[in-house]
Amino acid sequence: MPREAEPSLNEKQFVLQALHDSVRLDGRELEQYRPLELTFGDQYGVADVTLGKTRVLAKASAELTVPYADRPLDGIFNIATELSPMTSPAFEVNRPTETEVLISRLLEKTVRRSGALDTESLCLVAGQKCWSIRVDVHVLSHDGNLIDAACFAVVAALRHFRKPDTSMEGGVLTVYTPAEREPVPLSWLHSPFCVTWSFFGEEGDVAVLDATWMEEQVRSGSCTISLNKHGEICQIAKLGGVPVEAVSLLQCTNVALVKAKDMSSKLDRWLAEDARRRDKGGLLAELSAENDRVPDM
Amino acid sequence: MPLDTSTYGLALLRVDGRRWNELRRIHGQIRTQAAADGSSYLEMGHTKVMCVVTGPSEPGPRRGGAAGGASGGAGSGGQSKDAEVVVNIVIAGFSSVDRKRRGRGDKRTLEMQFTLSNTLAATLHTHLFPHSQINISLHVLSQDGSLLAALINAATLACVDAGIPMTDYVTACTAGSTSTYAANDEGADPLLDLNHQEEQELPGLTVATLGESDKVVALVCESRVQISRLEGMLAVGVDGCKQVREILDQVIKAQGRKMILEGTVDKGTGLNDMDLD
Repeated sequence: MPREAEPSLNEKQFVLQALHDSVRLDGRELEQYRPLELTFGDQYGVADVTLGKTRVLAKASAELTVPYADRPLDGIFNIATELSPMTSPAFEVNRPTETEVLISRLLEKTVRRSGALDTESLCLVAGQKCWSIRVDVHVLSHDGNLIDAACFAVVAALRHFRKPDTSMEGGVLTVYTPAEREPVPLSWLHSPFCVTWSFFGEEGDVAVLDATWMEEQVRSGSCTISLNKHGEICQIAKLGGVPVEAVSLLQCTNVALVKAKDMSSKLDRWLAEDARRRDKGGLLAELSAENDRVPDM
Repeated sequence: MPLDTSTYGLALLRVDGRRWNELRRIHGQIRTQAAADGSSYLEMGHTKVMCVVTGPSEPGPRRGGAAGGASGGAGSGGQSKDAEVVVNIVIAGFSSVDRKRRGRGDKRTLEMQFTLSNTLAATLHTHLFPHSQINISLHVLSQDGSLLAALINAATLACVDAGIPMTDYVTACTAGSTSTYAANDEGADPLLDLNHQEEQELPGLTVATLGESDKVVALVCESRVQISRLEGMLAVGVDGCKQVREILDQVIKAQGRKMILEGTVDKGTGLNDMDLD
């Protein structure tokens, strides 16, 4: 199994010493993120996120299937993570590495277990027909902090995604093509974002946000916190590593909340911009099959 | 939601009759397998775990892929200057009520293996054993909540038994909160040591600390919870870890005393004043 080349001793020491003096190689503050960019594709549900040199692409898709026998009233929602050899020679096809398992577990806990997507709304006919929503995460370039970027991409893709409109009349299910009826957005309940702290040194006393790949290779521990803008923690994962004082973990959580709120407002803005770009001549309002819920007096 | 714990507010007693800050019965044993380098058996309530430690020893031939267990600390293979901690968890099919088989590639198990190996790699003095491997094999015999905590405690006991130098005990326990995740009621109590029923319906976290300090080695929260709840839960969890540490310490001391009385080991110097009733 090929392995990633480790940084040399000199490099490691240089990075660590600089971090102890609160200096980062790229000149950022310790709690500063690299510039976060998001581009939507021409299709609905494609989000391309870049965070510095890290680039992640997420694509959401929908398919009609039969629900699981033990959950007849729920739709199916899956997140598939793929780290291809394109990212780094250390990743092989069909052999999930530790990083890949951890990322997919974290995304699953953050987005799926926290109930961000209402799976009951995906059910069309109980026990017979439901939507299966699948998000494919492709890492295009790896320069550290894959988790935060991947989580942002997944949430952006799902909120951007539109599934075909359907109707039930007399037991007949009709799925409309985009030409017949404008596709509808998913029933989205809240948007969780991952914020990853990296700890450095024997004591873990230097805490840094958004570590680059170099920093990730020399860190002695990390902690990923997922929150939404309402101040709800969706997941915390400090899976071993250097011991950190409980009080400083609480502080980390509070800073993470600020960052999550920041990401949330950025995403809202980008989604609104994209909606405006697509809504040429105000046609969307006309095409929508949804009633605006104003009682007819 | 399978069961209703909302009766807690009436008598301040939990489903199994404990108060909010009570641990379940913890029973530990070490040196249960004579052939192993270190071994332990731990019960936390109805959660029962066995652990066997082999090593530090020369690394064997590499097993393929991630199924071979999560590698901890720095580097992989026997080439690094630190010993590698390889953890393998087997969850018995009969351990839970619904008798579900979990394959080796189960992501939840892989994540627990990774957590354990990283937790122990940070505590064991792996730098004393270059080019070697410490194999930790855990078997889950019965599950009733707080599984990760029980695994960490059992592994700590077995590592002490194996005589691998370590900074201090790593002890773990779970903590939860009586509020449901959406409710922002201020009257919610934090709870210590969740059982399976409580784990299913209340927000909770697993915390592992180092010795008597407040230093958190591992913190895993998998449920949605208000950020204001975290401080209370963490405080109760860290306090519970200290109680667990006392219990594990007694288990080890009792075993040591027994071994001296049996004459298996020589009584060290300076131990003359030790009370060996």
